[in-house]
Amino acid sequence: MAIPEYERLTWAVVHCRGVLHTAHGSNLVRILATAGMVAGKESYYYMRYDDSPERDNVPMMFYAVMGDPRVDVVLHEEVEPVGRLFDAVLVMDSSMLLHRTSQRALILDGAKEDAVLVVNTSLPAVRVLDVVRERQLAHDWRGSLVTIRARTYDPEIAYPLLGALAKAWNRVRIGDILGALELLGRGHKAPVVEEAYRDAEPIKVFLRAGEKAFKKLELPESREWWDLETYRAYQAAAAGARTYEERMAAMPRWEVLAPGLIEFGPTPGGKNIGFTTSFERYLRPQVDRGKCTDCKLCHHYCPDGAMGFEAVVDLNYCTGCGICSEVCPVKAISMVGEWEAEKGLREEELLTIEEALREYMY
Amino acid sequence: MSLQPIRTPKELGSIDYYTSGHRTCAGCGPAIGYRLATKAAGPKTVLLGPTGCMYVANGHQFLTSPYAVPWFHTQLGGGGAAGIGTAAAFRALISKGKRKREEINVLVYGGDGGFADIGYAGLSMALTYDYQRLLYILYDNESYANTGIQASSTTPWGATTTFTPTGKVKRIGNERMKKNVALTIAAHPGVRYVATSALYPPMDLVNKVRKALNSGGPAFIQILTPCPKGWFFDPKHTITLSRLAVETGAWALWEYEEGTFSLTYKPPKRQGLREYMRMQGRFTHLSDEDIERLDRVIEEQWKLWLESDRQRRIILPWTPPPTPL
Amino acid sequence: MSAVTARPVQRLVPRMRIWTGTRAIAEAVKIADVDVIAAYPIRPYTGVMNELARMISDGEFSAEIIVADSEHSQFEIAKHASAVGARTFVGSSGVGLLYAAEAITVTALAQLPVVALAGCRALDDPGNFGMEWNDTLVFRDFGWLVSWAKDAQEALDMTLVAYRVSEDRRVLLPHFVAVDGATITHIASPVSPPDERIEGFLPPYKPPYPLDPEYEPVTKAQHIAPSLIGTEQRKVVDVSMKRSRGVIEEAWRDFSRRVGRSYPPFLESAYMDDAELAIVTMGAYTKDAVYVGQKLRERGERVGVVRLRYWRPYPAQELRESLEDVKGIAVLDFSYSFGSPDMGGAFYNELRAALYEAYQKPLILDFLFAGGREPNVEHFEKAVEITKRAVERGRPERLVYWLTLRGEDI
Repeated sequence: MAIPEYERLTWAVVHCRGVLHTAHGSNLVRILATAGMVAGKESYYYMRYDDSPERDNVPMMFYAVMGDPRVDVVLHEEVEPVGRLFDAVLVMDSSMLLHRTSQRALILDGAKEDAVLVVNTSLPAVRVLDVVRERQLAHDWRGSLVTIRARTYDPEIAYPLLGALAKAWNRVRIGDILGALELLGRGHKAPVVEEAYRDAEPIKVFLRAGEKAFKKLELPESREWWDLETYRAYQAAAAGARTYEERMAAMPRWEVLAPGLIEFGPTPGGKNIGFTTSFERYLRPQVDRGKCTDCKLCHHYCPDGAMGFEAVVDLNYCTGCGICSEVCPVKAISMVGEWEAEKGLREEELLTIEEALREYMY
Repeated sequence: MSLQPIRTPKELGSIDYYTSGHRTCAGCGPAIGYRLATKAAGPKTVLLGPTGCMYVANGHQFLTSPYAVPWFHTQLGGGGAAGIGTAAAFRALISKGKRKREEINVLVYGGDGGFADIGYAGLSMALTYDYQRLLYILYDNESYANTGIQASSTTPWGATTTFTPTGKVKRIGNERMKKNVALTIAAHPGVRYVATSALYPPMDLVNKVRKALNSGGPAFIQILTPCPKGWFFDPKHTITLSRLAVETGAWALWEYEEGTFSLTYKPPKRQGLREYMRMQGRFTHLSDEDIERLDRVIEEQWKLWLESDRQRRIILPWTPPPTPL
Repeated sequence: MSAVTARPVQRLVPRMRIWTGTRAIAEAVKIADVDVIAAYPIRPYTGVMNELARMISDGEFSAEIIVADSEHSQFEIAKHASAVGARTFVGSSGVGLLYAAEAITVTALAQLPVVALAGCRALDDPGNFGMEWNDTLVFRDFGWLVSWAKDAQEALDMTLVAYRVSEDRRVLLPHFVAVDGATITHIASPVSPPDERIEGFLPPYKPPYPLDPEYEPVTKAQHIAPSLIGTEQRKVVDVSMKRSRGVIEEAWRDFSRRVGRSYPPFLESAYMDDAELAIVTMGAYTKDAVYVGQKLRERGERVGVVRLRYWRPYPAQELRESLEDVKGIAVLDFSYSFGSPDMGGAFYNELRAALYEAYQKPLILDFLFAGGREPNVEHFEKAVEITKRAVERGRPERLVYWLTLRGEDI
């Protein structure tokens, strides 16, 4: 569903992780919206209401919106974008590109075709592009990408990311961002923004989504009652959806529903197939089977039931919290980065929770 | 049918009833407690979830559910009533021949908001009845975590929360002492089994859940479940903090079985409170002297815990809060 | 005069009893073989729980009776017992109902067929034990069926019908049986208890998805982001409420046939055939209203009386059909809604809303009896007189009258 009134507005979305980046994400959109205001546009910024309260590692989104004062912001309570809205997509943790969003959507789901993607990463842009093509594309993308090692400029990563964004984006000028910093009493951060602006090297991108485009789902006929079989069919369709659009297409009409909000859990031994949680993970455990003494502590202490009884990790559910590696009495489990485990690449731009906790304010 | 005690983690088995697939924080302590408790209770169980993290974070999406046994939401203050309503329904239907005879566990897993504050009266009422296999578990993460960390009556002295922030005038943060809910529950004569538990030692909770369900009456367990977000720590440390809470004596593990009190864990040498508290961001504003004063309060409490253990009956560990200098 | 010979009354009215409303309702709960009852005392509904507790103690029937710590717990107990598959009974009055409001709303949205007695009572403060409807009318937006009895007999019958309607799979909504405090709850009047003729009227209750490990692992009322299913869920309740109309008609037809008492499902009227003026009300004061109607008829005034038997679903169509041709309506209203349209009570304004779609719009005046001070037939006569005058003049002097207010001489 596309609504032209909303698409005409200028949107920026920040993808980041709860608690780790909450302060940075809100800081970034505040400055961006203020820059919009400095440029004379009606501007808003907000955290996606659905992500409140933020949770450790759980992906969350912040928005800055600039544009037509006659149209109010619509996404205050929405799960996902109405159509293709985003002119700029900023990703504070590159490992988020390896997984879906917490809404089981894709990072570029709601992006306009010419969107700018800004990624905080130490990885080469071409590697980022590879993974975007492989995992995050729902539509054709004919925009630009800029990668930046934000923390080499400033521990407060919002500022370098803003500089990089301004370089690649014609919607907000660097001058307006500097004006916003003045207005917010953050003028001393101007050099950071300017330096990042100078260094950033956006590249033009053209990726075709190809067969990743929207697929019509097969769903059972409406029945009088919402029985287990019907529920499972809808559940499987929603779980198998690759984009937000597909997932919403799997949501049932009211005629199918049983009275009183009935759902069905897995049968014992099964798992909640409707909701995988790999999106929380930027580290993953690796088990040294030679050392394992089969004590089962890692299994019982896993909050997500992701560590199997035989110490095999279910990557659909592992959130990378690291408890298993801490409780292992023989240190048989080590935590490695997602990029390293998946692609053999080292991401140096990872914000650790220790650092985040120092900065994280209510 | 009596549930057998678990001696080693291996015996507990692999089948989960609170399964994978929930949007809790990485390293969520209450989620670990939920897994262990439901594993201990087994398949013949109905779960009830008062509002809280274990409601909101476990749901959120339609067409998804992590519960492999029947589960129903109850209002934040409705935990006690929901448990008793469910247990009463089974007893009535079975005794009137409307349902086949079977022992069904009813397990209500509520937070400190749900059981120590708004639902406290309902919990208290429920525990004056004699329903069997009715177990209330308070997962105590020491705040209203799901609304963004607000103080509850089990938030410890000195913790900063969004309702008790430290500031220029109020230095300490939360100035109330943590309410010992389990002790007040022990004052209900009909309750067969009351215990405090933690995620450490490993099978402590599991065995207490089984004892509680076997006890032949309503039962109550309060588990201390570290909350990475609310306590401000690296999610990997959830179990480490559980261990430290127990070893430092900040959290005493005991059970009260039909009138007999016993400590289930006695710290060999009570130490390390500073390490425990310094690992948590919510206490960063406290000075070393503050922590020492708190340590002295805990020391006083432990004299009474040990005396209670010796006499096999409860002596209320009344202690004044550490007065700020 | 010769010595009075005792004549056995039973021969004339076999099986009649004199029961209070609460006693009569307790009888219905017993007949329904309710499994779980949750009690908490508050005047005036308490009597029903006293009766039930006594019946259970005497072994008249078997049920789990829980003395809760609050009304909130009471309704939560009923809700959860109902989810397992138990037939439940609960109730409250006045501020007690408001204390339970949270549990009351979730019971409807979870679509559990709990039946509750609302013994209407004025809201505090002060601890006012007079009769007002506000405590029950506020639940108009919650998804509960609400029916209103006029006497002990009807309260008993309504309770049985309530179980049948709300447990019907086309409905599955909770049900308030409302009775006026004091006048029905506390006054004993003749009741004919149901007999073997109602056997089979109420089939056993089994929820479609019981919360029982014996069946599929049902997850009920999980937290869900609003945009995913919120609207559809509300629609299911809306449709259940709409379907309840047909189920109510069916149930009363069956019940009337069995017991030989004729119950129109939604509206009861008297002298309405050629009426120019109508009294519209609910509950116990209907009797006085009918008396007034009769008296005025004898004087040649064309006055009729209409009583709502259901407040939810609201019988808007029936009211339009019944009232379209009258010129003026006197609403006997025991509710208030401060600051509402024209400062009328909730009962009055809902009627006005329903008649907005009428072909001809009668003049509608609100006679508002707030604060628990009892009106009597004189007030009702006065109400008709004022309405008549307004109709003759073609416009009302005022829309809302507080006839029992000191200084408003009648």
